[in-house]
Amino acid sequence: MILTDVLGSDVVDNSGQRLGEVSDVRFAVDASPGQLLSKARMVGIVVSPRTASSFLGYERRGITQPWPVAQLLRWRHRGSFLVLWEDIAVIGPREVVLRPGFTAYESTLAF
Amino acid sequence: MKRLLGVALGILTAIGGFVDIGDLVTNAVVGSRFGLSLAWVVVIGVLGICLFANMSGRVAAVSGRATFEVIRERMGPRAGLANLGASFLINLMTVTAEIGGIALALQLASGVSYMLWVPFALLAVWLVIWRVKFSIMENVTGLVGLSLVVFAVALFLLKPDWGALAGQAFTPSVSGEESVGAYWYYAIALFGAAMTPYEVFFFSSGAVEEGWKVKDLVQSRINVLMGFPLGGFLSIAIAACAAVVLLPAGISVTTLSEVVLPVAQAGGQLALAVLILGIVAATFGAALETTLSSGYTLAQFFGWPWGKFRRPAAASRFHVAMMVVLLAGVAVLATGVDPILVTEYSVVFSAIALPLTYLPILIVANDPQYMGKHVNGRAVNVAGLVYLVIILVASLAAIPLMIATGAGA
Repeated sequence: MILTDVLGSDVVDNSGQRLGEVSDVRFAVDASPGQLLSKARMVGIVVSPRTASSFLGYERRGITQPWPVAQLLRWRHRGSFLVLWEDIAVIGPREVVLRPGFTAYESTLAF
Repeated sequence: MKRLLGVALGILTAIGGFVDIGDLVTNAVVGSRFGLSLAWVVVIGVLGICLFANMSGRVAAVSGRATFEVIRERMGPRAGLANLGASFLINLMTVTAEIGGIALALQLASGVSYMLWVPFALLAVWLVIWRVKFSIMENVTGLVGLSLVVFAVALFLLKPDWGALAGQAFTPSVSGEESVGAYWYYAIALFGAAMTPYEVFFFSSGAVEEGWKVKDLVQSRINVLMGFPLGGFLSIAIAACAAVVLLPAGISVTTLSEVVLPVAQAGGQLALAVLILGIVAATFGAALETTLSSGYTLAQFFGWPWGKFRRPAAASRFHVAMMVVLLAGVAVLATGVDPILVTEYSVVFSAIALPLTYLPILIVANDPQYMGKHVNGRAVNVAGLVYLVIILVASLAAIPLMIATGAGA
């Protein structure tokens, strides 16, 4: 499975209710050491209720320019949340199913 | 002294490099139909290209990334690929138009049909791209392209009614026979001719080719802010020549002969010879830039090694892509399609595709992770936003206007 297979899939909870689409996948570069950097470890998926289009970098809280492009993109992605890898039950060909009682984390990045 | 020479050379090549077949044809067509009443569009287009080139040059110098590397990183593979497709096709159209332009200019000089000059132009463009150093290629075509100044000289020799010309330029109105739709269609065409996307692909990739650092930004800013406006003056001189000679005589511009007619009338054979030299240099330079741009965009998107600073063997896919583009352009010309027509469409499609490259650059120029303390200042962002609106309006209005006016007929 490659990233493109996951991006844009529907995300549903365990009762089958649609929550949104996968608009991004988060990685942390903290797995086993590689040649230059450590290997990347998948942290989780970012679920956006309305659109699978890219955040274009505006997932970072500190980036507010140029007005109103930043504001429009944030508004388009309002209600997005991060779901950790542990809370994903199935990543299938068409949809991603979350485990019961999953935690929806804030999806914005602090820097 | 050396520094001063460098600045002067940069400005001169920017002037000579600004005008290409799109500017030549569009300005002459507009001048022959609307006089100078669309000169304001050239001003807006020139300011826009200054802003856009400055931003993309700064992004390239600070982050070391050229335009399509930025687009790929910021927009992701899917939206990026759609963007690449559109930009690449329009660039191919421009390559076709520029090669046609070289051939048409050589036809004017020799009387031999342009179709026979096309293979020659193809070979010459390819050889220069393959063999000649980047800086030499840029400086020679830019400096020889300066011969286009003969348009400005011809305008003086024609002894026009300056007051009437200024009146057309400063109080624009649509003349009796022309429709308002055609006026705005040509406004978009002129805007697209001044703000062609390839100029920015080329400018930002050139910054990487020449290894610009932050300290080189001042010089690049001087080159752009002096050179492009002077190039814009040249554009207006082309339109003014057409407005003085072709408009009153009711001559419409359908071939390159009409574009050069005012200069021939004003300055005779000598002026015509200088002009043809200038047109060959300008279209040849632009053919090099557009061909390189198509290689740059593809290689940057797919992550291939690129650049003339590498030996061709070390950037093989980059060079193969350019050969394919050149052959494709020549194949289009071989169908017998009129290069002037291709040019007229290419400038409009350039305007349509402009937001695709403008927006990512505007966004990244504001991103401190790429730019550090060199992010856009407040004034640049206000201007950037005004131009975002202009570019979006021009892009969205182009196709409906093209259909409604029958491509400005």
